[in-house]
Amino acid sequence: MQRSSFCYVAGTPVLETQGLTKHYTLGQETVRALDRVDFTAVQGDFAVVNGPSGSGKTTLLNMLALIDRPSEGEVLFEGRPTRRLSEGELALLRREKIGLVFQTFNLIPVLSVAENVEYPLLLTKTPRGERRGRVAARLEEVGLSGFEKRRPDELSGGQRQRVAVARALVTAPRIVLADEPTANLDSATGRQIMELLQGLNRDHCVTFLVVTHDPSVLDYAQRVLTIRDGRIQGEEKRGAPRPA
Amino acid sequence: MTIKIAARNVFRNRRRTLISLLVIGIGLTILSFVLGFVGEAITAAQRSLAMELGALQIGDPRVLDGKASGLEGLIDPEVAQRALALVEELPNVAGVTTQVRFAGLVGDEQGSTLLLARGIVPEDCMANYACLIVAGRGLEGSEAREIVLGERLAERLGVGPGDRVNVATGTVSGTLNAATVTVVGVVQYGEAQVEERLGFVPLGFAQRLLRTSGVERILVWLDDLDQASGFAGQLTRAFSSAGLPLAVRTWDELTPFFASLETFWSAFSGFTTLAVFALVLFSVLEVLTISFLERTREVGTVRALGASRGRVFAGFVSEGVLVGIVGGLGGAVSGAIVAVLFNALGLTFVPPGGNMPQPIRVAVSASTLVIPFLVALGATFLSSLYPAAKNARLTVVEALRSL
Repeated sequence: MQRSSFCYVAGTPVLETQGLTKHYTLGQETVRALDRVDFTAVQGDFAVVNGPSGSGKTTLLNMLALIDRPSEGEVLFEGRPTRRLSEGELALLRREKIGLVFQTFNLIPVLSVAENVEYPLLLTKTPRGERRGRVAARLEEVGLSGFEKRRPDELSGGQRQRVAVARALVTAPRIVLADEPTANLDSATGRQIMELLQGLNRDHCVTFLVVTHDPSVLDYAQRVLTIRDGRIQGEEKRGAPRPA
Repeated sequence: MTIKIAARNVFRNRRRTLISLLVIGIGLTILSFVLGFVGEAITAAQRSLAMELGALQIGDPRVLDGKASGLEGLIDPEVAQRALALVEELPNVAGVTTQVRFAGLVGDEQGSTLLLARGIVPEDCMANYACLIVAGRGLEGSEAREIVLGERLAERLGVGPGDRVNVATGTVSGTLNAATVTVVGVVQYGEAQVEERLGFVPLGFAQRLLRTSGVERILVWLDDLDQASGFAGQLTRAFSSAGLPLAVRTWDELTPFFASLETFWSAFSGFTTLAVFALVLFSVLEVLTISFLERTREVGTVRALGASRGRVFAGFVSEGVLVGIVGGLGGAVSGAIVAVLFNALGLTFVPPGGNMPQPIRVAVSASTLVIPFLVALGATFLSSLYPAAKNARLTVVEALRSL
């Protein structure tokens, strides 16, 4: 992956929330999953949102990934409000500008490793030749060259998560959102994945926002936001990421 | 990629897909067989009626429409000649003959019975009934005092080829006339009731017996039966211009029961088509619903990656259609094989009222293969719509939460 030109404008807001609130109705009761969250992710960030189960981490990630709509407040993507965007416009933003890494990898089992990574490029109608090149480059970056034809069920958990990372990066998104990327991995593999993300952030200026309850992930963050009961409790700036 | 993913998903759960394909295959084989059987039954009836009656008949409208007896509306010989000349101008005419029909008595001094006779031109091979002869020979001379009897009538009279019988009938002027004729042949007609009274005599002899030189009707055979209606119109206009008082009726106008028969068979095949359609629809619907719901999380994933609802919907519908294509092709091929094997058995049956075994055949044609294929395609397409729409309508978060 070539170093992104966006790196030269590090600090430019990519994702921003203003008074972001989400509440669900359970029977008679209204549960506030997110309560007036204000947060900004800037270009080149490696931010980690940390909090216990049920604190609202995943709800926040869903809002930032534009796959769920807020009850109140706004999510701005590159300064553009998204609340009034249609389903189609949100899908366009997701496929072109947001990369997603899931806790359970969420690879498509009937597709090979290369096809899984290629899938988002098909959605953006990228020409075939360019697709091939990008897929090969991303797989090389995540250390999976030679695994192109394998199916997900022929890979270890760590390898699957690497494929998921390659898939998230293949469209050169403005930001990659990762939901508990180490939760389904043993600690050694989890470290490898985090080092991979950190390397991509450091060397290729990929912006990452990681949601986790795993304390070991915090070591890789430039910024740590703690969330509890749907509210950001505090933010810790850690400066440059830990060297790999 | 949508088709590639759909194709791989179709064979993801092989056992389930195999069950779907089996249901489609069995349903389509049955449908193909029924359509082939019905098609053959209709074609055989059509062929047999058109062979017997000709593609067109020309005569007095009252006679052709059954409002007068043949002797009341005989065609004058001069008019018949002019009509025949006009018929000969038509292209694709396979044969023409003239006939006169009369009722009378046949027997000997031991007793007599009813005779429904047809005076035919023995030289006109399209209508000399030679192919039905089971004993003796066909008629040979137009003036000869010969008769060919239906097998049952011959049995009843206790006569066979070489025996002589008396034939009595009323003439056109209402007087009685009789003659002694030689039985030269016996025919098996296929319909017991008709065969008990049937006899063929040469046209010239019949005219002498009836004391007339007229004919009752002119029968026209065509190379292509489908042209009957067009030719009928053409001849009607030609007769009208020539001032000939003749009407033209097509073979199907002369046999109104054929339309009922065709309607019955069409309703039967339509009902079978509908039943197979419903069988495939609901069986595949159940299988696809389970299969699609198992992949709700994948729907969430691809939607989160930016796939539109339409793309998700199209992907699932493609799966249904692929099942339809594979099952449809399999069913059509299997239907054709079963039909060919069935025909090879050479089974026959004797129809009600009949006395000759008829072959039971199943047609293998484009329609018996294409219609079942389209039924499979249509049913699987429809059965995929509901589960595909249900999955495509889910919100991304709902879909991702699915286990």
